[in-house]
Amino acid sequence: MNDKLLEVKEVYKTFDGVVHALKCVSIEACENEIVGVVGENGAGKSTLMKILVGVYSPDKGEMYHKGKMIPFPRTPKEAAKRGISIVYQENGVIPWLKVYQFLFLGHEDKYIKYMKLQTVRMKEKACEILEELHVACEVEAFMHELPLSTQKMVEIARAILGVRLESEDGDTTPIIILDEPTAPLTDDECKELFRDLLKMKKNASFIFISHIIPEVMEFTDRVHVLRDGNLVAKYDFSKEKMTEEDLFRAIVGRKSSEYISRSEDRGAADEEVVLAAKNLTKSGHFYDVSFDLHKGTCIGFFGPTGSGKSKIIRTIAGLMNYDEGELKARDQELKGDELPHVRLTRGIGYFSGETGKELFLNWSIAKNISIINMEKILGKLIPVIHFNAERKMAENIVQKLEIKAPSVGTDCYSLSGGNKQKVSVGKWLERNPDILLLDDPTIGIDVGAREDIYEVLLEMKKKGISMILVSDEPKEYSILCDKIMFVMDGRIQKVLGPEEFRKVMST
Amino acid sequence: MNHSRRNKPTLSVIKQTLKMHPVIIVFLALLLIFGSIYPGSFFSPINFKAILRQFVTLTLFALGPSFVVLTGRLDLSYVGVWMLGGVLVWLCKPVLGMFSIIMIPVTGIATGLFIGVIQTKAKIPSFILTLSLVVTYTGLSALIAGGYPRAVDGYEFITAPLIPLIPSTFIWSIPIIIAAVFLMKCTRICVYLNAIGSNEEGARLAGINVDKYKILAFMLSGVFTGIGGIILFQHLGGSAQVELKLNTIVWPLVAIVLGGTPLTGGSGGPQRTILGAITFTVFYRGLYLSALHPTMITLLVGIVLIVSIIISARGLKGVTVT
Amino acid sequence: MMRKKLMTKPGLSLEWLGSNMTTVGPIIFVIAVVAIFQVINPSFLKYRGIITLVYSMSYFLIAACGLTFVIMTGSFDFSVPNMLKLSALICVLYIEKIGLLVIPLALLVCLGFGFINGLLLAKFKVPSFLATLGVSIVVDGIAWYLSKGHLRIMQDETFRSLATTFIAGFPSILYWGMGVWILSTFLALCTVFGRRTYAVGGNLEGAGLSDINIAWHRIKVFMLSGFLSGLAGVLYMSQMGGGSVKIAADMAIPLFASVVAGGTALTGGVGGPHRTLMGVIIITWIQAGMSMLAIGNDVQMLTFGLIAIGMSIATIDRKRIKIVK
Repeated sequence: MNDKLLEVKEVYKTFDGVVHALKCVSIEACENEIVGVVGENGAGKSTLMKILVGVYSPDKGEMYHKGKMIPFPRTPKEAAKRGISIVYQENGVIPWLKVYQFLFLGHEDKYIKYMKLQTVRMKEKACEILEELHVACEVEAFMHELPLSTQKMVEIARAILGVRLESEDGDTTPIIILDEPTAPLTDDECKELFRDLLKMKKNASFIFISHIIPEVMEFTDRVHVLRDGNLVAKYDFSKEKMTEEDLFRAIVGRKSSEYISRSEDRGAADEEVVLAAKNLTKSGHFYDVSFDLHKGTCIGFFGPTGSGKSKIIRTIAGLMNYDEGELKARDQELKGDELPHVRLTRGIGYFSGETGKELFLNWSIAKNISIINMEKILGKLIPVIHFNAERKMAENIVQKLEIKAPSVGTDCYSLSGGNKQKVSVGKWLERNPDILLLDDPTIGIDVGAREDIYEVLLEMKKKGISMILVSDEPKEYSILCDKIMFVMDGRIQKVLGPEEFRKVMST
Repeated sequence: MNHSRRNKPTLSVIKQTLKMHPVIIVFLALLLIFGSIYPGSFFSPINFKAILRQFVTLTLFALGPSFVVLTGRLDLSYVGVWMLGGVLVWLCKPVLGMFSIIMIPVTGIATGLFIGVIQTKAKIPSFILTLSLVVTYTGLSALIAGGYPRAVDGYEFITAPLIPLIPSTFIWSIPIIIAAVFLMKCTRICVYLNAIGSNEEGARLAGINVDKYKILAFMLSGVFTGIGGIILFQHLGGSAQVELKLNTIVWPLVAIVLGGTPLTGGSGGPQRTILGAITFTVFYRGLYLSALHPTMITLLVGIVLIVSIIISARGLKGVTVT
Repeated sequence: MMRKKLMTKPGLSLEWLGSNMTTVGPIIFVIAVVAIFQVINPSFLKYRGIITLVYSMSYFLIAACGLTFVIMTGSFDFSVPNMLKLSALICVLYIEKIGLLVIPLALLVCLGFGFINGLLLAKFKVPSFLATLGVSIVVDGIAWYLSKGHLRIMQDETFRSLATTFIAGFPSILYWGMGVWILSTFLALCTVFGRRTYAVGGNLEGAGLSDINIAWHRIKVFMLSGFLSGLAGVLYMSQMGGGSVKIAADMAIPLFASVVAGGTALTGGVGGPHRTLMGVIIITWIQAGMSMLAIGNDVQMLTFGLIAIGMSIATIDRKRIKIVK
């Protein structure tokens, strides 16, 4: 157990010389074990992995393989020669290839004779390796016919096979990096995947990246916790006893002083229910979600990524269908197959912090603000856009939100991230929907802009707009929410008030 | 153990094949229908020969582009290659003599390379790029040839009858078809093209040089169209054509789609195109024998194109189409 | 901002020219085209020459406006020339039976085929160029079937006066063309419909999140394109006074070239009918100029093919798209 197969020490990586993606991170993987690397979005996990497989090169750091110092790989192929391969989170599967074709994709060199692929030998080899790794599937089947968990297993088998075919000495133990392998899988499929993974442990070492805490607790031997580019903790589960909450706190942990909530911002106890969900279920994502959203209040769905919280909010927005249950806005029933624009006519707006998702980057600020406020700037007699009204509306918003831009005619892509976000919020401020769904509203923007956006959102709440929040930033919940629902594995575990939430979260 | 997996009972093999190529059922049904409506004329030697002739035309035009369709793109340049190549043959005949026929494959390869590079590097939608190129080529051919078709002598041996009832161009096209199917079935090129059509991002993640293989697909298309063009040159009259007809562009397209290669790419290929070509030919000949007005036939071809595209596009959820 | 602009003297600096190339480029191009033809053929800009130019561009402009809307949403409509043809033929074939009612009939038929185009794209997920290619063949078949391939002459004088009445020295088709152009520019820039068309082409996901029924909007855009090609067909027949199924055969690529030459990129979301005017002037005036110089159809096709390829490369925004098919 103690012979370290792969070790990286004190890796530094900056982007554009400013953003510190990784600061002095060291991790190691031993033979035949599953090592977890956990952290929030943006903690630096994927940067680290990309350094390991040769997509990025680090600014500083050392890499050891079986105790020998080696240079960092420069291309994925070089990494494979050293025994390191990766299974990407998404887009890795090629649905219309047969299993054996997929297994050898990109590594066919040794199976070509006179230009002809030796399919018989390939199939035999494929059967062999699938049997060795306990993957149950036909080599002649198409990838898209397999269940998702088997697809993942075949991807892992492909990574192992790739290492074997590329590595210089035949008996290198492959180190396979799994980038959130369970993201697209259902519960049962996950269990299947892990059962098979544990069997594979004797063939390879795994570095397992995930946000999903129970998985990490159950299946990894050791875990590295990354936060903001730093390695903040290392746990060995065989030696230390930990609860899921401990680990969660290590991942998101903040000082308690950061959880300031201002009591004057609490929503008024209005009895009017604007949105009610009853036993809302989408199998594979979330189950039996029930809540009442009162006018002028904010509910937060809180939990680790992959817990189903963002699926819930996407379902309410009309981006996903639900299987069972009831969703009602005031008295209207919201059918599962309604598209977002229909939801908008019922007063439900969706605001995502992802840049470029809802902004039209080649449009001016004014146009971006007016696109959902058309009726306000149309003429009374003939429905024509009044450009003056449009500009005034936009100028109003720009002034109110202190958006830094030369004029309202400036194109959005020349704005900074924070200002882009403010434009997005601004259009909702003007629109005044009944309910505003906030999907990570401040992702990727600086602290100052965040505060400004909170101000606006709180003001909107005071005006009587109800909100639902989903975020990766615990602080946001204590600032914005009146009620926080703790989601784990797609189910609501408990409901907390902001004060309780603060107590739970502060270590 | 491996062998036991492959020794399936014959019936299930047939079932599997039919499931993979539903067009076979259509083909048999068409044979049955037309055979029973016009028992005399449909199975006559003349009709048989006509079917083979048209099959050759369609197949040789459609083989090349099916490599490109495999990657989810379209290549309509075949008509252009055939026309410009033919005119260049006429132009070079006094200089190169019999070897001037080589101009058609050369045009094909050059065109393939050009389209491939422009499509991957300048990111122009392939449909509009190749269509514009066809029009450019038509203009160029007409310009060189002086505006009317030019007959070229000396290649009659291509169509000289070898076996009674079977057009010799059919025999000549067999090696080309075999080469295409070999490429498709037995080399890695087509695994890669399949992968690109099925999930381009995934193929890139798997370490494939996607741009290189996309260009290669267009070049393969050019090569096959070029070599096929040699036969087609004589097959379609032995003269350099200068007039662009919509049907020449559309029919091979129908053959590809009918064969079951979805236009979004990822599966299918030349071997299906052959099936599509023969089915379409039988369909067309059957209609031709009927009392329908020729214009009705054009109309039906359009409808068949739309319906087969709709059917082949079914089940593709989450794909953004524009 | 204002001060900065004043200091750098717009019109003159190279930077400003570079950033506004899509606007300025076509205008320079037009001036160049006119200058060249004027030098070669001094009668190019005489009254008769100008009338020829007007005749050749007006119906073309109407059809191009329709196509522009489709390209603005990132789709393509291949069926415009054939719809134009069908509409023209309907007019000439049935004018004796139902009189001027043929005009609404022709427009309705084209509107209907536009609807089918949109439906195939939005509901059946058929890529637009193939859907419209298929529909275009069907339309072609119908045109053959109805006309039996014969040349027909328009006898009705009222119908012909639609396009050929001279008002203030110009034939009325010019006013039709400019009217449609102004209306579509207005539609694109000043109405909700136009704003949404840009939105669908610019950011499909974002459009879905902001008040827009994408499927229905796409159908509407194709219907508009169908309607305008129908109108172009009616006016074409009124201008020419006759025709067979051979009309508009080579129009697809010049039409497309004129839209992209104006500055509407194939990726959608930019450009607009206001730009298309310049593109149409470039293409149709080159066409007319070449015809005046007795340069054949072949060189014209060659030129338009090259313009189409060149302008698509020039206008497309390669940063925004990852995978193009």
